[in-house]
Amino acid sequence: MAKLTRRNFIKATGACAALGTAAAFSPASFGKSAKGRVIVIGGGYGGSIAAKYIKKADPSIDVTLIEKNTQYVSCPLSNEVLGGERDIGSITFNYKAMSQNHNIKVVHDEVVEIDAANHSVKVAGGNQYQYDKLVVSPGVDFRFEKIEGHSAAVAEKIPHAWKAGPQTTLLHKQLMAMKDGGVCYIAAPPNPFRCPPGPYERAAQIAHYFKRHKPKSKVIILDAKDKFSKQGLFMQGYKKFYGDTIEWVSGANGGIIEAIDADNMTLVGQVDEYKGDVLNVIPAQKAGKIAQMAGLTDDSGWCPVSQGTFESKIHKDVYVIGDASIAGKMPKSGYAANSQGKVCAAAIVATLNGEPPGEPSYVNTCYSIITPDWGISVAAVYQLVDGKIVGVKGAGGLSPMDASAETRAIEVQYARSWFKNITSDMFT
Amino acid sequence: MKINRKLLKTLIAGVFFGWLVSSCTTTDSAMKKEAAAPAAKPAAKMAPAKPQGVRSPSMLANTCAGCHGTDGASAGDAMPIIGGMEKEYLQLVLAEFKSGERDSTIMGRIAKGYSDNELKAIASYIANQTWVSSPAKADKKLAAIGKKIHEKRCKTCHEDGGRVQEDDAPRLAGQWPDYTMIYLKDCHKKGRRCLPRKMGKRVSELSEKELQAMAHYYLSEK
Repeated sequence: MAKLTRRNFIKATGACAALGTAAAFSPASFGKSAKGRVIVIGGGYGGSIAAKYIKKADPSIDVTLIEKNTQYVSCPLSNEVLGGERDIGSITFNYKAMSQNHNIKVVHDEVVEIDAANHSVKVAGGNQYQYDKLVVSPGVDFRFEKIEGHSAAVAEKIPHAWKAGPQTTLLHKQLMAMKDGGVCYIAAPPNPFRCPPGPYERAAQIAHYFKRHKPKSKVIILDAKDKFSKQGLFMQGYKKFYGDTIEWVSGANGGIIEAIDADNMTLVGQVDEYKGDVLNVIPAQKAGKIAQMAGLTDDSGWCPVSQGTFESKIHKDVYVIGDASIAGKMPKSGYAANSQGKVCAAAIVATLNGEPPGEPSYVNTCYSIITPDWGISVAAVYQLVDGKIVGVKGAGGLSPMDASAETRAIEVQYARSWFKNITSDMFT
Repeated sequence: MKINRKLLKTLIAGVFFGWLVSSCTTTDSAMKKEAAAPAAKPAAKMAPAKPQGVRSPSMLANTCAGCHGTDGASAGDAMPIIGGMEKEYLQLVLAEFKSGERDSTIMGRIAKGYSDNELKAIASYIANQTWVSSPAKADKKLAAIGKKIHEKRCKTCHEDGGRVQEDDAPRLAGQWPDYTMIYLKDCHKKGRRCLPRKMGKRVSELSEKELQAMAHYYLSEK
């Protein structure tokens, strides 16, 4: 598949060489005042921020955002849709402010080729765009092949809901249709994956829904791992609010799923088989498709970058941010992508102005909502040391285990305000 | 007395400004805002190359936006608007978060990740932004009750409806009421342990409804 695409890409590059030159002088990108042309692929937590913060720092740079969808549905807070605490509309955004408020050209189309040598990008609609700097923020893609019998088609019946939108709605409908006394299995993926605390917050949110509407039901997490993010805090919250409703099966205890029997709604583990009423299988992950296609990934399936600028170690003038990048100690989270987008934007602005990129600074904050009044968080401040992103010692860490109920309730308020602010940072 | 204090603040501001410029890249948006100030032009010309290893104010402060909104103009009702608050107040609060003197859920963990100079740079950058009041609508009845309490108990420090920022008093006018409530409830619980202590005592004497009235009064003063 990848090879075929590459062959096509070379063919297309040859055929479109003349077109590429024409595009370079198209009215859209022509202008002596423009310091350079930046294309950003992917309008999520990373790409939208990179585009906006380049413009914010230097409006004379020409910025085009290419994003397939006209609407963006946020993964963060999507677990609250499953818990019944919010509707999907409250986590859905559009790109109008990007063009209206920030003078970013927004193209809703699918990128089919990146030609790094010729600094051009081609979209499914046929247009070709030239760039001086390219930011790729493609998120993740799934390794369905790691579980026998799994595929994108099977995910239409057994949702991952790990890209928010129709998948979230599908899982939500299945939970609502489930009989009381049913069992929902969540298969949590191996590291590294998008949103490390996500599967565990999801278990809590589903249990929150069950507690009110289907109290005899259970949520069982089948984990590929033996430990997980904020584990102590999650286990404390599970026990306190959901008792036996939530069960966690570690990888060592049979949580690793090897196959899916979709017809029989059964997950096949190394020892046991698990027949459920609702199955939520979150597959292993790799960098988003466009990064694979453009040859930006290494053997790990993720994109190696210079961690101070996010410029690809494989292709010059191409930057990879967010979940797809290998970003030292930073997790694959929305906040991390936001922070990386800003570091990358500053590096690109500096470079296009003939200056060396400045010293970077990064932050991550992840809230998880266990009940509407019980929130927990993890935070970290990062710096670049010897070319690697590392946490600043003595800073960051988890919410304390012995925090008061008031503090836990405030953390939920902060989680929801965090969401308002980080999405306003992206879309207003 | 007040004039002297203002003079002193101007002097302090001047010192910080010089420091800010020296650690700023020329493409920095903080720089542009600084450059708009009358005193900034000669300084901008002689801005030296950024020393390696120094993180620019915008680089540092932009990481705050994930929780506090772009340029500190919070869009979330529980998160305080900080853009445009006075520099001295922001410096004090960040230093207290770092030392642990001021309680927090998460700010203590984050503030510890920066040097004292970096926290000062963040405070300066955020202070330099435009204050954007909360779009929330104040409850008029509550605001009227709050106004009376303000006149009696609060206005000596929080002048002009909480608009004046002097002597480490933060801007309250136009702040999100949910955030003001979080702070006031915490202060109410702590009493004399609240910072500053004289405020703790005064707040601890109010009922929850009165605290809510305060929050709506300050919102109404935007």
